[in-house]
Amino acid sequence: MIRSKKTKLALYALLIVLSCFCLFPFLWLIRSSLMQMSQIYETPPVWIPSPFQFGNYSEALTVLPFGRYFLNTSLIVVLEVTGVVLTSAVCAYAFARLRWPGRNVVFMIILTSMMLPGAVTLIPVFLGWSSLGAVNTIVPLTVPAWFGGGAFNVFLIRQFLLTIPKDLDEAALVDGAGYIRIFTHIMFPLAKPALIVVGLFSFLNGWNDFLGPLIYLNDEAKFTLALGLQLFKGMYNAQWHLMMAATTMVVLPAIVVFFLGQKYFVEGIVMSGVKG
Amino acid sequence: MKTIKAYLMLAVIALVVAACSGNGANNGRSGANAPDNASEAGSGKQEPVTIKYTFWGSPNEKKVQEAAIKGFMKKYPWITVKAQHIPEEYTTKLQTMAVSGETPDIGLLYGEDTMKWAEEGRLYNIKDFFDNDSEIQLTDVLENTQYWWDEGKLAGINGALEVFGLFYNKAMFEELGVEPLPTKAEEALSWEEFVEVAQRLTIDSGGRNALDPAFDPGKIKQFGISLPTWAYMNAVESNGGKFVNEDGTQFMLSEPEAVEAIQRWQDLIYKYHVAPTPTQSASFPGGATGLQSKKFAISMDGQWTLVDLGASGLDFGIGVLPVMKQMKTMNLGEPIVIFKDTKHPQEAWLLLKWMMNPENTLELQSSGLWMPVLKKWYEDPELIAKWAQGNSAHPEGYVDAILNNGFNNGFQNTVYYVRNVPEINSVLQPAFDLIWQGKQTAEQALGDVKPKVEAVLKGVYNR
Amino acid sequence: MTEAAARAGNPASSFKNRRKKEALYGYLLASPVILGFLIFVLGPMIASFIFSFTDYNVISRMNFVGLANYRNLFDGTDPFFYKSLGVTAYYVLLGVPLQIVCSFLMALLLNQNIQGRSIFRTIFYLPTIVPVVASSVLFLWLLNPDIGLFNQILEMLGLPTSQWIYSERMAVPSLVLMSLWTIGGTTVIFLAGLQGVPRHLYEAVEVDGGKARHRLLYVTIPLMTPTIFFNTVMGLIGGFQIFGQAYIMTQGGPNNATLFYSYYLYREAFDNFRMGSASAIAWVLFVIILAMTLLVFKSSNLWVFNENEEGKR
Repeated sequence: MIRSKKTKLALYALLIVLSCFCLFPFLWLIRSSLMQMSQIYETPPVWIPSPFQFGNYSEALTVLPFGRYFLNTSLIVVLEVTGVVLTSAVCAYAFARLRWPGRNVVFMIILTSMMLPGAVTLIPVFLGWSSLGAVNTIVPLTVPAWFGGGAFNVFLIRQFLLTIPKDLDEAALVDGAGYIRIFTHIMFPLAKPALIVVGLFSFLNGWNDFLGPLIYLNDEAKFTLALGLQLFKGMYNAQWHLMMAATTMVVLPAIVVFFLGQKYFVEGIVMSGVKG
Repeated sequence: MKTIKAYLMLAVIALVVAACSGNGANNGRSGANAPDNASEAGSGKQEPVTIKYTFWGSPNEKKVQEAAIKGFMKKYPWITVKAQHIPEEYTTKLQTMAVSGETPDIGLLYGEDTMKWAEEGRLYNIKDFFDNDSEIQLTDVLENTQYWWDEGKLAGINGALEVFGLFYNKAMFEELGVEPLPTKAEEALSWEEFVEVAQRLTIDSGGRNALDPAFDPGKIKQFGISLPTWAYMNAVESNGGKFVNEDGTQFMLSEPEAVEAIQRWQDLIYKYHVAPTPTQSASFPGGATGLQSKKFAISMDGQWTLVDLGASGLDFGIGVLPVMKQMKTMNLGEPIVIFKDTKHPQEAWLLLKWMMNPENTLELQSSGLWMPVLKKWYEDPELIAKWAQGNSAHPEGYVDAILNNGFNNGFQNTVYYVRNVPEINSVLQPAFDLIWQGKQTAEQALGDVKPKVEAVLKGVYNR
Repeated sequence: MTEAAARAGNPASSFKNRRKKEALYGYLLASPVILGFLIFVLGPMIASFIFSFTDYNVISRMNFVGLANYRNLFDGTDPFFYKSLGVTAYYVLLGVPLQIVCSFLMALLLNQNIQGRSIFRTIFYLPTIVPVVASSVLFLWLLNPDIGLFNQILEMLGLPTSQWIYSERMAVPSLVLMSLWTIGGTTVIFLAGLQGVPRHLYEAVEVDGGKARHRLLYVTIPLMTPTIFFNTVMGLIGGFQIFGQAYIMTQGGPNNATLFYSYYLYREAFDNFRMGSASAIAWVLFVIILAMTLLVFKSSNLWVFNENEEGKR
């Protein structure tokens, strides 16, 4: 669609400038995390640390057990993602392929909960978990994921399932397959692209969640990476080289997962037709 | 089913009551050795008891507290203490535990929460324990570590006492030829002298100090002083001001003495340029690291900063606070309380008593983080030597500038006596934001906020 | 289906049975999300509505106080309500349009047929995966007035620097700027929408001699209005719930300039443990978001392109 070379060049220039805006914070993060404190204050700013102060990382690690926080976070996220993917797929199947009275009304009602600010339910849900003695456990952070994984995810997978030809399950029915079997053997495998997108979204949600762990977790030993970083910030206020090292350690796992799932992340979301 | 449960409950209650009264009687009768008696009896007759203790603090603090608790469990083998370290959002977490019926038996609590919880009937009156214990008297304990929520009603005793002082980088003083700071209260710098010292220590990128007419406040390389703006009551009390009037119905920070004192602090930042603005101080570390990296020459701070200074290896000096009209240094600290929900108040009291004795937490005292709460540790030279002398966190000058000054000239932080402090602070904070950002003078901001504060004043606590 | 029914002998009753069975499975398989809705949404909503008329504070006995919580908010007894509402509205009104415009433009750029497109897409999406705590700490550093990257760059370019989040006036705009760093998520949804724009419409414009500008004005934007609509609504909802930045970066300051509504609510609920009044605050938020969404919905008739008129795409 682009005709002249000039436009193309301008386009690239623009994209590169914008990419810089996106990437610079990362570079600055890593640069600062590898500096000695004195170098951080130099003006004009030094761009490349010298020497590379890898000790900042080990120092941050001796202060707080980021390794353990990583495991804690991982456990929560794995439980969450599994719950979301499995149950939202099952529910989406029920909404997309099975006919039952009230289906559309129920779906609409559940969809409206997407508009609901979490603040409204926060307090009663919190009090509910408290009265069950579930505070300071990962239960409040993971169990809700096993209840359909939220309206948005059900909606997303349902949209995807609707695009699968109806003949497939009808043929299976004729062959005597049950609904469960149709789901496990036909729908679930076919919905893989949508499921990956949902999985990645819920991974990010879980990984980035701050308010949930903040409210529900008490013991330092149970902290997630996000809470650990906040704690670290409190203790090492304005020691930027250490704070940036800690921040890098929190960001890194998310980036690794992002690149592992990169193919699905952007293109997958684009292709699966997530839209209003 | 129900009846069985009821019987069980009754049985438990009976047991608890028996245990408590037994202990109480023991304490009453056998005097100084009560706990030891109990411990001897413990091997055979004492029911094993588990109590939960909650606290916050740095990793270092956590380690020492846990060691102290280990010592406690060794001495009282039938008591298991589950120590839970809650580093963030402590109050919130404790409230949460209360909702789920998991309130600890004993724990640290912030001063303002202590008063609130005590009034709600959620804390034991510690005075009763003192009254029934011949081993320790309330008069042994520093007054400024006691939180009273009503006449005869003591909510808690601090884990530690904290006071304010000046901490400085000796090398920076020597480089600029500035005399070491005085350590004795009688020799304290007057405000004018203090400003001048700070000016001589503030250097711009051209190497000029803040007294030089060509000094460039836009390009300051090192500041004379780092100011704990939140601890402005140090200035107010030193200038003869008050937070509220006697019965706590009137806001007094808008009175001339207080306004003048707070204005002086603001002037350090915006008139003399010897202290960083809030924005500037956000860019460099405070406390020990700031001193060490020569971001400022003097740190006015609570003495807890010694724990970092001691560990940093920096050659630092200690000075006594400057004086306006009278020498004053703020006393503060957060109390350890016993929660009403506990089933084992006597054991909790034993632990509280244990934590009050510096002997058991000596590492916290000698590391510079805590100051003892027992008077004799300030008076008996032998005891003083145990914590405040001869270690890297307590260099020469400490005894005069911090220990004696805190003991003789300390005043209580507002949370000890003013009701409704959290709400007052949420109204007051924006006014102080304006002051420390140099947007308004102290007179203007405090005058404007007076009616708002007075709307949430709820009086003071009777002692 | 008919084949199976015929084999079963009695077509009508077999069909009925099948229907019954299908419905049964429908309920069964949909039950997680239905239960989840009841337990984690509807129930709590009702509870929170009830709390909002009480002085519930977890500790003492709960009393009904009628409309007192709401009255305290609206008559100014609570000094922070209007302030936080204003601050949040400012953030939303400044932020959401900017985010929409920027991410839409970004999506147009990334939808061009150029080499390395997927690399660029990846780059622009990357910031959105940074946890909010981490991005907050990072921006605290980038926006540091003395030695942060932003001011360093401005200084190098000879431009005036800013106090950013430490200035009452600049605090909210700074956070808006920060939010622009993470528009990748919205951009991707726009990209998805752009896939749905049929090529033949573009070709039609070209046949009529239209330029890129015309393609954008007469095809892309009209056809993208549903996506714009979706992103606007989600942006509004998200904007009203900004929390982490206020909690981590500014604690609501300076002088309450970033006392965002959710942070204010958090303080009321979890610092002061006034659950009754916090619930009232939450319900006011709910009503505001509902009203705004309805407003956008209502206005959508005026500007959102209706697919049905154009036939199924």
